[in-house]
Amino acid sequence: MSNSDQLIRTERLEKTYRTDSVETPALRGVSLDVSSQEFAAVAGPSGSGKSTLLHLLGGLDRPTSGEIFLEGVPMSGLSRDELARLRLERIGFVFQDYNLIPVLTVIENAAFVLELRGVDRRARTQRAGDVLAELGIEKYASQFPNRLSGGEQQRVAIARAVVAQPAIVLADEPTANLDTEASLGLIDLMRRLNEHKGATFLFATHDSRLLDRVRRVITLVDGRITGQTTP
Amino acid sequence: MKAAVRHLLRNRRRSLLTLAAVIVPVYILVLMYGMVSGEMRGLFDGTVKLRTGHFQVRAVADRPEGGALPLISTPQPLIDLVDSLPGIERHVVRLDLPALAAEADHSQGVLVQGVSTDQKDPIADLVTSGRFLDGDGRSAVVGEGLARLLGLSIGDRLILLGSHPDAGLGVANPTVVGIFSAPDDTLSRSVVDVDLPLAQQLVRQPGAATAIVGYVKGVDGPWDAWKIERAVTTLRSELPTGYEVLDWRELSPDIDLYMRIARPIMTLFTGIFFVLGGLVVLNTLYLSVMERTRELGIIIALGASRRQVMRMVFTEAGLIAVAGGAIGALAGAALVFVIGAIGGLRLPGAYSGFMKAFGMQPILHLRVTVPEIALSAAVMVAVALLAAWYPARRAARLEPLEAIHYVQ
Repeated sequence: MSNSDQLIRTERLEKTYRTDSVETPALRGVSLDVSSQEFAAVAGPSGSGKSTLLHLLGGLDRPTSGEIFLEGVPMSGLSRDELARLRLERIGFVFQDYNLIPVLTVIENAAFVLELRGVDRRARTQRAGDVLAELGIEKYASQFPNRLSGGEQQRVAIARAVVAQPAIVLADEPTANLDTEASLGLIDLMRRLNEHKGATFLFATHDSRLLDRVRRVITLVDGRITGQTTP
Repeated sequence: MKAAVRHLLRNRRRSLLTLAAVIVPVYILVLMYGMVSGEMRGLFDGTVKLRTGHFQVRAVADRPEGGALPLISTPQPLIDLVDSLPGIERHVVRLDLPALAAEADHSQGVLVQGVSTDQKDPIADLVTSGRFLDGDGRSAVVGEGLARLLGLSIGDRLILLGSHPDAGLGVANPTVVGIFSAPDDTLSRSVVDVDLPLAQQLVRQPGAATAIVGYVKGVDGPWDAWKIERAVTTLRSELPTGYEVLDWRELSPDIDLYMRIARPIMTLFTGIFFVLGGLVVLNTLYLSVMERTRELGIIIALGASRRQVMRMVFTEAGLIAVAGGAIGALAGAALVFVIGAIGGLRLPGAYSGFMKAFGMQPILHLRVTVPEIALSAAVMVAVALLAAWYPARRAARLEPLEAIHYVQ
């Protein structure tokens, strides 16, 4: 792997949550590289620090110590607004609970990130429509999210995450609320986007059935990387 | 924008209540403007038409309060000066002096107003029986109150015993040719209009006057007072020594004072409604932000800047404010229009007496201008946006992770 392929690098990442006098370490010295066009999973039991790792990589939270480099840029020095801009321009998110915006239609949800970026209405509608078609949900374009099934809503969330072609899509337990068929379908969809569009995916899961579909598995236990495998 | 509308439609009842809270202050402010402007015009008309004119040129003299004005023995150069000014509509030459009016065994202290009949005097419009003066030098027009006090009718003779410090006593015996109805009871009881030559006869100085009363073109109400001030300023610069020019404000300081304080007081009163409206908007938006904490957290997580988040909240506030402001302003303007169409607003007893005391008709002719309507709506929009500041700021400062995991 050359340095130019390196998308994310973390150095001895620590995260400790403090509540009153109680300290709960969530990550303990995580050093990790993620390359461009990877399709990787962070696996581990509940409470192992998967979500915390993704939140830190996505700039949604700040580490207690250690450093994250996104495309070579250290994230610790970025202000709140700079982190927001970084998320907007370089990172796509898929959440466990879909987290679509209820007052926006499917196509408006898919185009939302482009709207935040200031892309004009026609261009963003066109682009979002194309992505919805790629994901096979274009027929729901004018519907509101509450009319869709969980699997369909998560596809819309993926459309929203990839529509602006970010450097990486971080997905936190994207299949946690889906049945097996929908879960496998969603992972296959993400993998197709990875293979055909070159989108980089890093997703957290505790579902071992999904792991044979990824190219790399990073295993976290008690906040430490205990293994990295290539199935 | 579309999303903001949908957010507002999410909780329709609350949005409608907020809309109402925005509409009411604007509606009241437009009505307040209409009433104050109507009242101001009534006061202004009553004052300038019947008492002061837009301005008066007088001889300078020290005199006791309420005493007779000094005589101007040769007023023609002053009349020529007034007529030469640009923007002067007309002038009336007046000779005012205190007098005793008597008929048979009744008498009453009055102010005799000698007026030149070559220019129309405003009292001519108030004559309800008989006619106005025609310049024959033998006629008088009295108010209904005086006619009632002295038992006068059209054709009766009236004895006027004039007294002026510059001229001593004088007597005249005009015929009552007209009776006028004044909105002000005092005016009705105490003013006798006579031909100027007859008043000059009372002071035994043919050609004399006490004031040249001027009227400026294009003055429709106190809001046009700047035109009067402009004319007065020019006149002051050209007036010979020994004369002064007083505008309507100086001639009726009590009316001027009332006009100066009436609008600020009513604005302050209306301001209370605006504050309440603003608080309702703040409450609505704050609740809306609280309810949408999770959603706002997602929006921030996706990369929205603080400015973008604030703009979302401000857009909702702006929508409510613009819609409410427009509805309130149009409804207020419509009511002013309807009141105008039915001939004005007849005021209840106590207020009617107050109006009469200031020489006004007890009917308010509401008046509101487009800038006033626009200002009323604009003030509400500004108040609503100000009220939106706190919830918008709170929304923008949400931490994305905490907000996403927020449970109501």
